[in-house]
This record gives sequence, structure tokens and C-alpha cells, in this order.
Amino acid sequence: MVRRSGNAFGNFGKITGGDDFSVKPIKAEFGGSVPDSLYTVNRESAWSRWRRGYELATACIVDNSFDYSFNYFIPIPAGTPGTGGNPPTIPGVFKGFPTKNKELGMHWAGARIAGSLRFDNVLDSGGTPAAIASVTEDDEFWYVQLAGTWSTSNPLPPPLYVAVPGVPGGIKAINGEILEDRIIDVGGTPITRDTINPANQTRYGYVQAVLVETNPFTGILTLRKRGSVEATPDRILVTPATRPPNVGRYFMTGTRYCCSCQDFTRREYAYLSSLGQRRVAKFPLSRAAYLKPGRYEVMRIAGKVANQAMTNAVTNRQMEIISPAPEYNIPPTVTPNSLTIPGSTRDDPGVFRDFGSVYTRSTSDPSVPGAKAEGLPSFNDYSAAGNVITSLTDTWTPLLDEFRYCKHIYAMKYEEGVFPPEPSDFPVMEEGMAEWEQRLVEQTEKDQEQAATNLLKYGLSYMDVPPYNCQAPMMMPMMQKLFNVPSTFVLMQGFIMYDKNGTAYRPSQGGNPAS
Amino acid sequence: MTVPNFGDIVETNFIYSTEQRTKRKFGDSEIQVSGNPAVYHAGDVVNLPYGSGERSTIEAIGLAWAAFASGVLPSGL
Repeated sequence: MVRRSGNAFGNFGKITGGDDFSVKPIKAEFGGSVPDSLYTVNRESAWSRWRRGYELATACIVDNSFDYSFNYFIPIPAGTPGTGGNPPTIPGVFKGFPTKNKELGMHWAGARIAGSLRFDNVLDSGGTPAAIASVTEDDEFWYVQLAGTWSTSNPLPPPLYVAVPGVPGGIKAINGEILEDRIIDVGGTPITRDTINPANQTRYGYVQAVLVETNPFTGILTLRKRGSVEATPDRILVTPATRPPNVGRYFMTGTRYCCSCQDFTRREYAYLSSLGQRRVAKFPLSRAAYLKPGRYEVMRIAGKVANQAMTNAVTNRQMEIISPAPEYNIPPTVTPNSLTIPGSTRDDPGVFRDFGSVYTRSTSDPSVPGAKAEGLPSFNDYSAAGNVITSLTDTWTPLLDEFRYCKHIYAMKYEEGVFPPEPSDFPVMEEGMAEWEQRLVEQTEKDQEQAATNLLKYGLSYMDVPPYNCQAPMMMPMMQKLFNVPSTFVLMQGFIMYDKNGTAYRPSQGGNPAS
Repeated sequence: MTVPNFGDIVETNFIYSTEQRTKRKFGDSEIQVSGNPAVYHAGDVVNLPYGSGERSTIEAIGLAWAAFASGVLPSGL
């Protein structure tokens, strides 16, 4: 078999004389952040996602930008009293990235805007807001004690902790969120990295870190140091953060990203269109040897499987998560739409094939002291002992911001003014970094042009657009993760969209964008 | 700075300049576009209730998860 040049992260430059997995000496002056950076393919994947993300961000300026801004009204559980004029909302934006690799020509990424969840409205039984009371730390984590009185009889309130009868540990719905200590006073506007403290005329600065564990009975949050970001008084972002979250402030959630692309979802969805001259497989499938135990989900309308890209703005689908055993149901046991099928795998034949792996953003045990945050991801899938599954780590494990970013999310971070840290290992061997990078840029530009041409050729009428596609098999898992609400609370009627002029329209009430 | 209202975006840090908007093109073809494609981009949101009885987003999401764990469905909008 003739071996294809390059590797899976782009044919932008085969390094001569090398094998993707050959071991080479590190010649760089500085140590890398990538523990297994000896592997060519790993260096290239880490660095090219970061670099191509920047190209996509700039392409969005030159090309038309496919932004679909929205504000999502969170449905209220049946029986809950209404709240009058200010219903709670989640604002965000869908961003379309034209691609030549997907049937409908568009990858949809989404962002939930920072500050959607605020801890200054998390109160204990005595009405004390959950400020940062104290912080202790070890090598890997900060342990943040929240103010208030917390105990087994007065645990942290939902969504930090939801008690479920018969389920040890309950549901800790916001584990995996980015938390930022950007609220100075109760009800105050979040500070930014520009905000100046009037008391001393220096910038406040703040710290951003991922919440990895919640102790609802002591009020202690565990935040991971690795991957944390600090906005310094000099207005720069450094990672990892050099200091803990500030005592006395309140947490809020950071911007949350999701994407529907293969890189982020670790899936390839069905290609059913016969349009054009495309030569990719129409029916994604995994070889039996590659199948791995895991969970998958199906979409239904009135009990029947519904896999179409779009519905109208008032038809809702239900998502049902299939697990191999009851203990792996997500969320646990009592959910109305979780089903156990022994032996289930990660594939949903005919809808998508799963790559059978989850990459988290970095390892928890950096091998190099002082390594930067965005190293290579670590690999997870499942563990077993004695032919019995002992744990599942798939895309339903609630560690969203620990997932490896795709180039689309990198692009959104660039656009937001956050220049994500460059992986510290250069993907260079015998040739120059500049040449390698230039080829990558040219290839990305060429891909973008091809994607734009495809979009013109096939037309927007074939494209699935938000919010009508938000319950498609490709989008619904992303929506639940983006909003972090149960999928039964992702309803088409909840979307208010904003057109190019900023004018609101509500698709479920027949609204349309201005022409 | 004016006092933001519930749900206001207080920082939108990616607004295209006039020059960027006028130079947009689609693939290799110049196209006519109008409006600002990123009027509501990621920034920060002020999501606190300001009146008594109003509900914050974190509280609403908590209600949704608690209801979900109990098998309660949304009441619709």
C-alpha cells in the first residue's frame, strides 16, 4: 500500500525521512510542554490546531462571518412559579465555519457568554452569598472554601449539587466549568482585565481555572492549576496562574465553547447527500475491532427516531442516552430518558461513528516543571478489569472545558481577544519552522477557499442553520453541553435570535431575520 | 458607565471595523452585504435579577437539573 504523505493533521508538509511515530532527539533550547513530544504527529496536531485556528479567525474577517447570536430562555420546570418580567436567559452565539469535509458544508461552534452563572446569587440557608472565603493549595489544585454554612443537611444548592435518592454523590452539574473570580461586589458588573481598582489605580486582575470537583457538604471547590489563566495588573494573560483566586470575590463562569466538528466531538456523522462529486464514504461505520464500550444518544419525536438536520421552530425532539449498564447512565438512574442496553458501544450505526477516544487538554502530571498550559492532550476512553467495565470516559463525562480544543474553538478564542498560548514544542525537524508554518497557512487558506466555493455551489438552502438544527443528532449533544442544562430543557421555543442589525426575532413565533 | 440591565452584554470585544466590513468577500466573489455580522459576540453578561422575586440564571439551571433528576419536565414557554 502506498503510504499517504503527511499525517492526519494536514498534508501541509511531510517531514522528510521520518515516520509519524519515530523517535527523534529534542533539539530545542527550551523544554517542551508536551510530555510525548518526541512523536511528530503529536507535535503537529497540537501546534497546527492552534495555528490554523488563527487562520480561521482571520478568514472570518475577510469572508462573511456566519454568526447567529441568540438569547436562550431557560424553560421553567412544571409547577414552578413564574418570575415576572425578567426570565432567566443564557446568551451566546453560534458561529459557522465553512468546511470542505462535511456534507452540509458547515461546522457549527457555539459559545455561551461569560458571566452566565454567578456565585453572588448562590446563598446558604442563612442567606449568606458564596464568596471566596479562603483558599488552600497543593501542587495540582486550589481548594476554595465558599462562605456560608454548608453541611449534609444544608448542602450547596443546585446546580452545584443535586441530591438524587439512591445515587451516591448526586449530580454535580457544573463540574468542568471554567470559573473566574471577576465579581467584586454582589450584583456588580464583572471586571475585565482592563478594570482599574479606584483604591490604588492598578488593574484588579483575576484568575480563571477549571472546576474539577465540588464538595457540597463542606462548600469546598477544587480548581485545577494546570490550564489556569491569570490576568495580571499589566493586562496580560499568563498561564498557569501564579496566584490563587482572590478571597472576598465571587466566582462567575467563563466563556464556554463547544463545537460540532469531528475533532471536538470525536465523531464522524453520516454523509447522506449524493450531491456533487464527493468521494467520501456515505455511511460511517467502525470496524468491529475498533468498537469500544460506551454511551451514545438517539433523537426521537413522539418516540420515533428522528435524525433529520432540522425541524420547524416548534417541534421538539427528545434525546435518549443509551448506556451499557445502569451505573453509567448520564445523569444517573432516575432520568426519564435514559436507557440501558447491555453491550452498547459508542457508535450509532447509520448516524455516526465514534473515534472511540476522548482527548483531554493536558495531563494532570506535567513532566516538565514550569510547562505551559496547552500541552498535548491526554488520552482517555474506558477501563476494565476481568472483562468488566470499571469506568467510562467519553464525551458524556462532565469535564467539558478539559476537552481538547479544536481549531474552531481556537478561532473563537482569538476573536474574543484571548490569544491562546502557543504549544511550546515546535513541529520542526530537518527544515525550518517558517517554511513549515507557511505551508500550513497556505493549505488552510486553500481549504477555506474550497469550502467557500462549495458553499456557493451547493447553496445555503442545503445548509442546516441554528436554531432549527439545534436538536439534530449532531447538535443536541453539543447544545446540552454548551448550555449545561438537561436536554429536555433545550426547547426550540426558547430561542430568541438576533439578525445582522441586532434586531431580535423569535423563530417559534414566526420571526425571521431582516433581509 | 451606565448601569447595565439584566442580561445586558457589557463587553463585546470583537466588533468589526467599518473597513473590515466593507472588504468582506465570499470565496473569490465580491458580494454585497449589510449590517454587522458580530453585533452580539462573546463578552460578559450581567445575569443577576434586580427585582425581588426575579430569578437568576444559575438558579434556573439549578431548578432544571433538580427537576430533571426528579423526572419533572419543563412547562413550556
